[in-house]
Amino acid sequence: MRDQTMKPETKSDVPARRIFLRDVTRGVACAGAAAGAAGLLAATASATAEPAAAPAAPAQAGTPASFPTADYDWTKHRWAFAVDATKCIGCLRCVEACKRENHVALDAHHFRTWVERYAYVDGGEKPLIDSMPDKENIAAAGSETVYRFANKYRDSKVDKAFFVPKLCNHCTHPACVQVCPTGATYKTKDGFVLIDHDYCIGCQYCVQACPYGARFFNHAKGVTDKCTWCYHRVTKGLQPACVEVCPVGARMFSDLNDEESIVSRFIRDNRVQVLKPETGNAPNVYYVGLDKEVS
Amino acid sequence: MPKHIARLVLLMVAFIVIAVAAKAFFTRDSFYRYGHYRADSVPAIAGMATSFQTPKACISCHGARHAEWSGSVHKTVICEVCHGAAPDHPEKLKVVIPADTMRLCSQCHEQMPGRPKSSILQIDLRKHFPDAGQCIACHNPHSPKLPAAAVAVDRKSADAAVAACTACHGANGVSTNDAWPNLAGQNAAYIARALGAFKTGGRANETMGPMAQTLADGDVANVAAYFSSLPCRTTGSGHAKGIAAQGKSVARQCIACHGTGGRPVNSAWPSLAGQNPAYLEASLTAFKEGQRANVFMTPAAGALSAQDISNVAAYFAELNCSARFQ
Repeated sequence: MRDQTMKPETKSDVPARRIFLRDVTRGVACAGAAAGAAGLLAATASATAEPAAAPAAPAQAGTPASFPTADYDWTKHRWAFAVDATKCIGCLRCVEACKRENHVALDAHHFRTWVERYAYVDGGEKPLIDSMPDKENIAAAGSETVYRFANKYRDSKVDKAFFVPKLCNHCTHPACVQVCPTGATYKTKDGFVLIDHDYCIGCQYCVQACPYGARFFNHAKGVTDKCTWCYHRVTKGLQPACVEVCPVGARMFSDLNDEESIVSRFIRDNRVQVLKPETGNAPNVYYVGLDKEVS
Repeated sequence: MPKHIARLVLLMVAFIVIAVAAKAFFTRDSFYRYGHYRADSVPAIAGMATSFQTPKACISCHGARHAEWSGSVHKTVICEVCHGAAPDHPEKLKVVIPADTMRLCSQCHEQMPGRPKSSILQIDLRKHFPDAGQCIACHNPHSPKLPAAAVAVDRKSADAAVAACTACHGANGVSTNDAWPNLAGQNAAYIARALGAFKTGGRANETMGPMAQTLADGDVANVAAYFSSLPCRTTGSGHAKGIAAQGKSVARQCIACHGTGGRPVNSAWPSLAGQNPAYLEASLTAFKEGQRANVFMTPAAGALSAQDISNVAAYFAELNCSARFQ
């Protein structure tokens, strides 16, 4: 886990592959500069280099001491999300709340957060997995603007079943940020991965780079979209909408800089896991209650 | 320097100058301030308007409801889960009062494989009162737990709490005045629900409001169980204004819930058999005229004429409250 002070990345934090690629990119840039095309090639190199590797410019004169808002200083926080899947009841209040809070298209194909159901039915070794776009679930909801899990395993022999809420992991080393050609998506100092919709050109490299399928294309705006952990709420001192509405406390969100906050305690008191740790993205959504089939 | 090399160098310099100028021109001012992104987009995202307001926004106007809700098992379900996000309420937007509570409540409470029993109370929709229609027929969504009908009476604390009630409702639960209800043998869950409503102001009454407010939650259960355990007395017969025989036809629409003998199937609804007719009449009139509100009783009473109300009150007053549970 990363140090509490938001120092720039050191080599040991970063996967070896990325260090190699970064060094190669820099080498090419230097060689190019030596050849006399420094300006042009440096521009390319800085576009491909790690964002944190770019020197942070000193705060300009006139920049307010607290950024991004007067009441909220992003250097003082380090947010993380936790999901206790053993509590989740699959009521999908989080999914509906997210759509309404963030004005996501009301259909069964665009989600900033969603819930998957894993069910081992009739002695099967592999779980049956379904989520809101499933036809039966749309039929149970009666419309694509509201969401509901059909009670379809009611009369089956179910060996094990559980619900898994999913959302953007706001990774410490986000692959989506690395591939963005325009600098439209970035990692903030307080731990969020955000998208600048003014700079996004809608190329969807990031959609493909994300190993969690957390990003989708916002067809109305022509840009990529994803969960922001409700940055606009958190910076106002509120909880993300999905956390706010969860009736059973399966979703938790807090500042890891506070050692007694709910997620700090959750990570300390439970054997937590993250999704797909092998991809090296270092996700920041901590789970309890998954099994090996969940990824 | 040969001419063609000079031209080439000139071309390259021109190209570099154009590239650097273009980059400077097209890159927004705040772009490299904190990294390889536009710093100004961070406050822009942070400044977006919120939709969900949280219960803190509701308490200033809906204090009584808030008190009822925050003391119940539903306190983890915030207002906007059922009533919808209300960023423009009350100026522009009326919040949703859910019509289909069966659908709404079963979203969380339907028994389903994978839904952990430790998280939430679950019901089998095919077995749990499949004919009741709406959940709010029995459950108050803001405080859904029905007081157990058979709460063991804690005699000692019940006696203390009950003392205040007996002045009007009688030591044996039979009222001293025709306008007040008998409590003896009344369903405990109904008494508790009524006291809860008086306590939070959901049901307004100058006398009962302050009296109920002095009761602790445990006292409410004890008082309810105490009066429920007393033998009921049919006091209504003989002195009703209306004509019981004519009330029988009106009563047909009541018995679906209140039972053929005036004894309801569900303990959350009041028993009417043998109740004081003046009290029944006053209650129906209060529903009709809007002093009392209830999703079922308001429209039911609204459809009745004053004469119908007298007659139906007389009909239920005549019924024997000790007849076997229907």
